[in-house]
Order: sequence, then C-alpha cells, then structure tokens
Amino acid sequence: MNQAANAAHSTAINTLQAAYLSALDQGDMAGWAATFAQEEASYYCISAENDRRGFPLALMYDDCRGRIDDRVSFVTKVWVGTYQPYRTRHFIQPLSCTTAGSNQYNVTTSFMIMMTPEGGATKILTSGEYRDLIEIQGDKAVFRSRRAVYDADVLPRYIVFPF
Amino acid sequence: MTSQFIGDPTGSQSSGNYTGAAPAVWPAKINQIPKEIFGDPTIFEEELKNIFYGDCWHAVGHVAEVPNIGDFKTFDLGRVPLLIARGKDNVVRVFFNTCTHRGNQLETSTSGNRKEFECPYHRWLFSLEGQLAACPGAKEFAPDFKQENFGLMEVKTEQFLGLILVTMGKNTPPLKEWLGESALPTLTALLGGDGRLKLLGYQKVQYASNWKGYNDNDGYHAPLLHTGFRLLNWQGGKGFQRMTSGGHVLFEAELKPATGNGFLKDPSLIAFKGSNPERGSVITQLFPMTVMTKHMDVINLRFAIARSHDVTEVHYAYFAHEDDSEELKQHRIRQSSNLLGPCGMVSMEDAAIFQRIHIGNQTPGFAEFQKGVTSLTEVPMDVKQNDETGNLPRWEHYRKVMGFKREGEK
Repeated sequence: MNQAANAAHSTAINTLQAAYLSALDQGDMAGWAATFAQEEASYYCISAENDRRGFPLALMYDDCRGRIDDRVSFVTKVWVGTYQPYRTRHFIQPLSCTTAGSNQYNVTTSFMIMMTPEGGATKILTSGEYRDLIEIQGDKAVFRSRRAVYDADVLPRYIVFPF
Repeated sequence: MTSQFIGDPTGSQSSGNYTGAAPAVWPAKINQIPKEIFGDPTIFEEELKNIFYGDCWHAVGHVAEVPNIGDFKTFDLGRVPLLIARGKDNVVRVFFNTCTHRGNQLETSTSGNRKEFECPYHRWLFSLEGQLAACPGAKEFAPDFKQENFGLMEVKTEQFLGLILVTMGKNTPPLKEWLGESALPTLTALLGGDGRLKLLGYQKVQYASNWKGYNDNDGYHAPLLHTGFRLLNWQGGKGFQRMTSGGHVLFEAELKPATGNGFLKDPSLIAFKGSNPERGSVITQLFPMTVMTKHMDVINLRFAIARSHDVTEVHYAYFAHEDDSEELKQHRIRQSSNLLGPCGMVSMEDAAIFQRIHIGNQTPGFAEFQKGVTSLTEVPMDVKQNDETGNLPRWEHYRKVMGFKREGEK
C-alpha cells in the first residue's frame, strides 16, 4: 500500500483500518473508541463544505480522549430508545500513506458508508475521506487523530454513529 | 361539518376555492390538531401559496454569512431559488436566482465570492448589485428592450440585527410590526445583542418530516425527552415562554451551571462561559418555521426549507460574536459542534422525534396537547415555562392563514 511504511507497519495499519470499520458496522462503540490512542487522541467528523471553506465547525468534534469516551456513553446510554435504528456498512480505499515522524504516518483513505434503516432498503449515507495520523505502538497501530470529511452538502438524515 | 378553505384572509394570494383534501374536521377543541394536515401534498401546495409565497417574512440568512463584498449564498424559499449577495456598496440584497433573459438559474454554487454574476446561456452579466451590466448582441433585441429594465429581480427584504428576512407577499406588514414589539428583546439577546456575528460553519441535514412537524417539535419542548439532562444534573432555572398573536414563540430561561454529575469524562464541553447566565437559554421561534437559539455559548440560527409535504431541510448555522476572545470562540466551536445539531448530545433525540412524529401523523385522529391546557375554547396566550400549550397560538395562526374553519364555525 505504500513504500514509506515497512511491511510490519503496513500490516498494523491495515489491521487498524479493518478494526475501525468492523466495530462501527457491528454497532460496537467501545470497539470504535479502542481504535484510538488511549493517552491522547482526537476524532472529527466534518462536512467537506466546512472543511473547504476553512470553517472549524464540525458534526462531531472530539478533540480529546475524554470526548471520544463521552461519545460512546451518549450513543450507548443516553440516546437508547430515542432514535430509529440503522446499520452501516463502510467501504474504504487507500489513497496515500506518508511518514510523519518516528512510528507515525499520515494516511488518507476514501470511504463510502451504506446505511440500512431497520425494516428498510440500503442507501448511501455519504462518502468522504479519512485524514488520519496513525501511530505504531508495539505491534499495533492506533489513531492519534482521525478526521472524517464527508462529501454530502446536506446529510440525508440525522446521525447517531460516527463515520 | 367539513372545514373549508377560504383563501388567504389577507386577500393577497387568494387562490379561490380550495378543492384539495382539506382536513375533514378541524376540531372545536383548541388542543387538538388534525393529523391529516401533515401528510397531504395538496395542503402543502396551498401552504406554499398562502404562507411561503404569502404575506409572511421568512429568515433566509444572516449578513455574517456573506461578510465580504462579492460574497454570496444561495437558498430556497419553498421551491423558489434565491441569491443573497453583498454588493460593492456593502448592501446585502436578495435576488431571485434567475437570469432576467430566458430564466436560466443564474448561480449554481451554494456559496462563494464573485466579481459579477454571469449567465452562461447568452452571457448576460449582472453586477453584484443586480444591474444588467452587459448583454451581447443587444442591438438586435426587441424594440422596447432597455438594459436598465433587466436587472435581477429583487425580493422584498428587511433585516433585524443582520438577520435577513424576505417576503413574496404583496400585503406583508413591515418586519417589526410582523415580529411584534414583544419579540424584539429576546431576538436581540439571541443575536448577541447587536447582530455582530461571525460565522463558524454549518450542519446541513434533511429530515423525513413535514415542516410543521419539524417546527412543532423544534424549539422549546418538555425536557422529559432528554435523558442527558437528568444524567448531567442539568437543570434549567426560572424563565418564561411568551407567544405572539402572529404565531411566534419567545423563550428565555436562566441556566444553572451543569456539573456533568460525574457522567462525562470531559465536562468542559458543557461549561458556560458566557456572561449572562440569567439569559442562558434563549429561543426565538418565528412563524412559520424558523427556530433560533442561544443555549449556553452556542448561537445557532436554523434556516429551514420546506421541500415537500414530507421532507424538511435544515441548515444549522453557528456563530461566534465579533468581540469574542479566542478562548471563547474555541469554546463555542466545540460546544456548537457537539451539542445542538442533528448529531448533538441533547438534540439528536429531537431529530429522531421529527421523523417519528411524521410517521405517527399518518394515522387518523389528532395530535393532542395537554400540559397547561386550562380552556378548551380559548387559545392560551399566557402559559407557564414548561407548558406545551405554547404551540397553540401558532397553530391558531396557521389555521387562520390557511383558512381552515373549526367545527361549528360559520
């Protein structure tokens, strides 16, 4: 997938990407949070319009590890029973991977998210691009930062789960 | 007795006899709303004529969204495309987004900055102020063609502290009269006191909901829905809910600092850094469907578009104040992003209700209002902070504008 990362790092990065998608597609919010670095991490989900125009406002703005854990609490404890359930299926395509210091990589990946509302047909939720800072810790990789820039100028529904 | 559509009571947009499927019964009891009005496309067509293209003002933007000369944004009023642009004279104008020649859509981008607006079809060129600046081949145009007569069509516009409202009605009262004196202090507080706002960005979403279902459940409602309030030990203080006969709702409440109750790992998100806790929560809900809120340090104007009888689009625009310190601005950005939008900690649930209530409204019967109802015949204008009756004057205004008669009414 890249020349900058050695084979072991490449494998770790691919495993991380798979773990992220797998967690979200199984509705496993704790598994989602576990893909981020424990000590310091951030997750942003922002529209391409805001991103392009330089607006900082996001749809999800988790700029510290505590915010990521709090998002898990809200999805799994607070919102239960209020929203109409839907499942997702993420597909990704690697775009670039470059080194960013020792054991860190800037990784860009395009994504597409299919959504299936319970009792309904599968539709596209949105597509977009992940812009990540990934760190190798021992034999595994974690997200230091993941920025999901989604393409939809107008989302087709309200959002419960991270992209 | 069946209710009957009698046209726009103001007389400006009367479409004559209504032949669509009017609600079989608009009940005499003031606390019942017939569910039929939420799912009927023919009623939506009448609403476009009587409300969205009628004698009402509609919030379509704030000047802070187009801060520089040449900045523009496009927006829709019902199905009518609008072009909002700041001219070289620093005046923000609203045009119909159409070339005055053959009617081609003029600007296709949702926002941007231009030196002028050019229609690609026959290269008619319009200035930022809307004048027709150039039109190739004009000497072969019709004998009565005068270039100065073909500027962009301007939509009637008024502003309040930078909030841009438009109307297509012929008999719409002046904006301040339409808002009502009692609405102004709350709206002023919401717009940062002076309207000097700075755009932080948008969250844009479509809801599978009738615009009235969206509007009836956005803005203030009973906190019972929000488990988060209880978990966070987040309690509102004293305040008021005030309605106007024009269908607007004003809400203000004190906000007590929320501790997070140990539930949040990062309670800094719900810190309140503003200087006016006595007005910690401020909501202005303008008829027909504009909800604006200042909650804690979030300033959020929700520009909504009634797309059809079952689709409502909402552009949540978030702002800082021009005088904010960098620290307060950063706080607003993270609080705005996470609190009140279509994925917000305390508002994702609202969004779910918009859609669920639209599904529920396809069944027979009535939406029933209970809490705070003291009379079945008099629409209440004096309600308590947590009464759900605050919505009833707006419904009464809607019923009158639409010309739906009550059971037993002549």
